Amino acid sequence: MKTLKILLIEDDAIEVMKFNRTISKLKLNHEIIGANNVEDDLKLLAQKTNLPNIILLDLNMPKINGIEFLSILKNDDTLKYIPTIILTTSNNQKDLIACYEIGIAGYVLKPLKYEDYVSKIEKLLAYWSINELKNTNERNRTY
Amino acid sequence: MNQQLEGILLRALKREKGARKAAEKILEGKSTEFYDLTQKLKKSNFKLEKLIAEKSSELRGVFENIVDAYVVMDLRGNVIKMNEPATSLLGYDNNQENINLFTLVDVSEVEKVKKSYSKLINNGSITNFQVKINTKSNDQKLVHINASIIYDENHKAIAAQGIVRDITEIKNLELQKEKLLLKLGKSNDELQEYAHIVSHDLKSPLSSIYALVSWLKEDNIGKFDKNSLQNFGHIESTLEKMELLISDVLLYSSVSLDESKKLNVDLNIVIEDLKKIIFIPSHIKINVKNKLPVVFGERTKFQQLFQNLIGNAIKFNNKKNGLIEIDVSEKKSFYQFSIKDNGVGIEKKYHDKIFKIFHSLNDHKDSTGIGLSIVKKIIDLYNGNIWIESDYGKGTTFHFTLKK
Repeated sequence: MKTLKILLIEDDAIEVMKFNRTISKLKLNHEIIGANNVEDDLKLLAQKTNLPNIILLDLNMPKINGIEFLSILKNDDTLKYIPTIILTTSNNQKDLIACYEIGIAGYVLKPLKYEDYVSKIEKLLAYWSINELKNTNERNRTY
Repeated sequence: MNQQLEGILLRALKREKGARKAAEKILEGKSTEFYDLTQKLKKSNFKLEKLIAEKSSELRGVFENIVDAYVVMDLRGNVIKMNEPATSLLGYDNNQENINLFTLVDVSEVEKVKKSYSKLINNGSITNFQVKINTKSNDQKLVHINASIIYDENHKAIAAQGIVRDITEIKNLELQKEKLLLKLGKSNDELQEYAHIVSHDLKSPLSSIYALVSWLKEDNIGKFDKNSLQNFGHIESTLEKMELLISDVLLYSSVSLDESKKLNVDLNIVIEDLKKIIFIPSHIKINVKNKLPVVFGERTKFQQLFQNLIGNAIKFNNKKNGLIEIDVSEKKSFYQFSIKDNGVGIEKKYHDKIFKIFHSLNDHKDSTGIGLSIVKKIIDLYNGNIWIESDYGKGTTFHFTLKK
């Protein structure tokens, strides 16, 4: 299994703790990047030097709407190739349809129970570790 | 010879006299006839005059008493005649000033009016013509016109007459209504959206608390006594109940009618499908006593309706052999359904309360008391009624109607 570089876009501190703890609990070697602050995450992506393999995106964030964030990603010629998976508590059909329309690689509902959360994250990461992904870091690209 | 001549002349004279008498007699007859005719003519003339006077007075009455504005104009649009309502509508009076159709209509409408006026002259009439006009006091009004052409005896068009009705208010009200409906739809959507956001904002902290409790347990294995662990368990089940409540409130708030999703729904298929979705314990049997009808509406609403009622019947069954019977009877303008169980029953004093939101009688783990409120809301949407019959301890029958 490949190790993934994962960008978690989430501004709730406990949610970030939850994700990190899940990774270490599952003894996975994935690298988690991200500033836990949407604006800084956007800056990081704009530099295009340290791009993640996949992005996990929360929809309801106070500073920027997840759908807006998704649109920024999908309108960028480099960033649009990074699989983006929505991780949210909202099962609003309108949001779900809007996300699939713009282009997402998955839509996962955050469950109430921590055990269920761990199990969902485990499956999600296992799936993306066996996938072939486009090398999006242009500087690393060899021709 | 003389005597012979005299005889001839005398006879001739006699003949002449006879002829004259006959002629006089004919003349006299003719003249009586003529007199009679004259008399008759006089009579019918009198009748005609009377008729004209009657009709004129009738027309004048119509002209003066008609509530709508009535205007007569020549073929160039100059007003020849107008009634009182027309004067008060337009502010002009044709007895004091010259008025033309084209000075009345709004500048933006001149082309449209020209077209319609020639159409009126060619076709003889126009109906339901709507146009903006400006009154003398410069008020803009929207009027509705029905007009026709007046012809002379040779069927030559000589004038146009029209009934003019002020529909400014009606049109304004219509527009207002449309705006209100639009606004209502929008605020309904906003409310939906709001419910989703609130439910998300409430659920997130719950899952955070749940995670934190799990970590406290994980990080302190063996350190908590049995009592504390039990309390952690209580925190978790409270969180679960809270989450269920939020989901149900969201579900309740999203029960609204979507006309576009209405179609003919075979309730037999709905029930068959539900039997596959709902968990039915082996000791409970569900019987459909009669063939259910096909009703017009939203499939998901009917499914929610039956799912909640059947679900309740299963949830609150305490008998060794549970039996749920679904039945229907057809009435003139509606269908009356019943869902009968042999479960715990409901005390009389609660029969009205159970349909109110959050009113769960039992402290059942997966019951928030919203199910029956949703049922009631759906039935209200379809102009139906719901009521219950229950023998406490023996069972409950839910009756409800759906309009055909």
